[in-house]
Amino acid sequence: MTGSIAIINARVIDPANDRDFHGGVLIEDGLIAQVDETIDTTSAEEIIDAKGRILAPALIDLRVAREPGLTPDGETLETLCRGAAAGGIGTMVLAPNAVTPNDRPESLPSFSSETPVRVLTAAGATQGLHGEAMAELGLLSRAGAIYAGCGDQPINDTRTMRRVLAYASHLDLWVSARPADAHLSSDTVALESDWSARLGLPSEPGISERIAIERDASLAELSGGKLLIDRLSTASGLDALRHVRQRDIELASTVAIAHLVLNEIDAGDLDGAFRMTPPLRAETDRMALVEAIANGEINAVVSDHRPTPFDDKGEPFALAVPGTLAIETMLGSLLGLVHDGQLELMDALQVVTSGPADILGLPQGRLSPGTPADLILIDGDVPWVCDPDEFASPRGNSAWAGRRFQGRVLQTIVGGCTIHNYNA
Amino acid sequence: MTRADFSYEFPHRHLLSVADLNPLDISQLFERAEHWLQINRTPDKSSDALKGLTLLNLFFEASTRTQGSFEMAGKRLGADVVNFAMSNSSASKGESLSDTARTLAAMKPDIMVVRHPATGAPKFLADRTGLSVVNAGDGMHEHPTQALLDAFTLSRHWGEVGGHRILIVGDILHSRVARSNIGLLNILGAEVRLCAPPTLLPQDVDQWGVDVFHDLDAALEGCDAVMALRQQKERMSGGFVPSEREFFHLFGLTHERLERSSPDVLVMHPGPMNRGVEIHTKLADDPDISVILEQVESGVAVRMAVLELIGRNIRAVHRLEAEA
Repeated sequence: MTGSIAIINARVIDPANDRDFHGGVLIEDGLIAQVDETIDTTSAEEIIDAKGRILAPALIDLRVAREPGLTPDGETLETLCRGAAAGGIGTMVLAPNAVTPNDRPESLPSFSSETPVRVLTAAGATQGLHGEAMAELGLLSRAGAIYAGCGDQPINDTRTMRRVLAYASHLDLWVSARPADAHLSSDTVALESDWSARLGLPSEPGISERIAIERDASLAELSGGKLLIDRLSTASGLDALRHVRQRDIELASTVAIAHLVLNEIDAGDLDGAFRMTPPLRAETDRMALVEAIANGEINAVVSDHRPTPFDDKGEPFALAVPGTLAIETMLGSLLGLVHDGQLELMDALQVVTSGPADILGLPQGRLSPGTPADLILIDGDVPWVCDPDEFASPRGNSAWAGRRFQGRVLQTIVGGCTIHNYNA
Repeated sequence: MTRADFSYEFPHRHLLSVADLNPLDISQLFERAEHWLQINRTPDKSSDALKGLTLLNLFFEASTRTQGSFEMAGKRLGADVVNFAMSNSSASKGESLSDTARTLAAMKPDIMVVRHPATGAPKFLADRTGLSVVNAGDGMHEHPTQALLDAFTLSRHWGEVGGHRILIVGDILHSRVARSNIGLLNILGAEVRLCAPPTLLPQDVDQWGVDVFHDLDAALEGCDAVMALRQQKERMSGGFVPSEREFFHLFGLTHERLERSSPDVLVMHPGPMNRGVEIHTKLADDPDISVILEQVESGVAVRMAVLELIGRNIRAVHRLEAEA
């Protein structure tokens, strides 16, 4: 373990304890030893002067896609961790998807403790994510899976969904499901809107989310399961969330960063970089989601980082593989909302630190003595332009390419070790 | 003729969407189409308007009439025409459209005529290759030359298309012909009506500058032209109407139903036609009312006009580059 580090002269922001003050943090043995306005630096082996910049818990990202091992030119665990560290992420969860379904205990990647970023894995809820036969959730849970996910497609069969929720409940696993009605949303690439209708794009109505949330929440209520609504994206879905929250259900919801800062008009030129699952929504949906975050209705914001080979985007919009790189731009995007006056800094950080930590019961994501020293130092003002060539990822499919950001991570510390240093 | 009108030259190197055209562009196209239409009726149809240029027909969806029409148009203008039927070639071997585009562009054609099942594919190819692209149908999005030939056919009967009432009946939802026609007829100042069951209409279509009907008899009231569209079965998943015979009884065009429309009503169909589903077979063959074969004839002439004016601009760009 490392020796003690004192970070002083910082604007300390700790959403978990709702604190925003001028002070510092003392780190000992990889844990936070002291959080206060004045830090006793006498025993510190290293003193970092934050010069008034922001000190916050390192981010926790519940949804990152891993490329299968040995993919030519693919993103590796090493580049993924490097990108995450540069984006201020201290903990990330590899969520199941079609190419890495994580549906068998032996296929669950095992990580030595050497990864600089804490890497966790979520299990596929059904075999092959086909939504039919249940995966070995018990064994997967023992192998370290921290929640069960359904990938991009909802579990179509209501009876299967009920059983997955019921079975996962005795393992105390959250079941993460994309809120979409399988029939309304199958083979669609856009939101049903004036824009997509004029372009003749196959589209899904926003109420597809509402129907799915009502269904899944009802099943969670029936079965006693814990439902994690995976990437809520519409105002209509938000209405349903508010409605089902009135009942006694263990329920949490995430939103992908793309849906907080982009809308369907960004895809207006039919650039495949803006092809996403769920698709980008209307500006009214985006504003409703931002407001929901300010109101504390959204538990976590996820990057939904997904590297795809260039050639998969070398197709017209409707045929492009969905997904965008996002780990290195998530914090910048959130800070953009803060600079624009759409979110308070505390609210923006809460959904990427203590919010996700509280869902999964992780000790990190907060600045409390005794918890892991996962911290980031942020310059909230420094301007930069997103250039995918500068990403750690060998992929370049970023929806933010060429965008201007204000504010970036200077230093990322996980377990008391510096894993990213912008100035170095 | 105003001065601006007089000196205006067709500015486009592509034809991707009817929304790119203004009324002056359209009148120039129609003027040239009329010229070619008359020449096409003589035994000496050859011209050297596109001599030396290569036209690539790139069809990712099977097509007989549109591809043949473009091929004939290109050949009559003296272009070298090459047909690539992409549905059974490299696309099925896993090559991305981006790579296909670069490969074909390296063969140095001048104009690509593209039909593709995905919205935006012609524009995608235009962006990636820098070649002139004519959209011959992209997914459910647009089919601009079909709309132009429809309006040209009507203008030959009426002089002006503006001010007339035109009804489009049938599968609007899946139809790129309908989307292009709605756009073009609005530019020309026509009154556009749509009639279909709600399952075959796009969401909020009433905001597209059209009047929407579900009752064919009401929709036909006072119409100067009616365009029937077939159901695009290849783009449908699941049932949108209960049966073909029910569709015919509710939305099929017949002589009797047309009595509500204007006495000189014209009946159009972009083809292929399903007789007895969207149009009664006798009506389709009635030479006093049906202009379906005139549409086909106009098609070649309009495509010649499009290719000629685009070809002129391609040559102009080359001249400028040579001078520079």
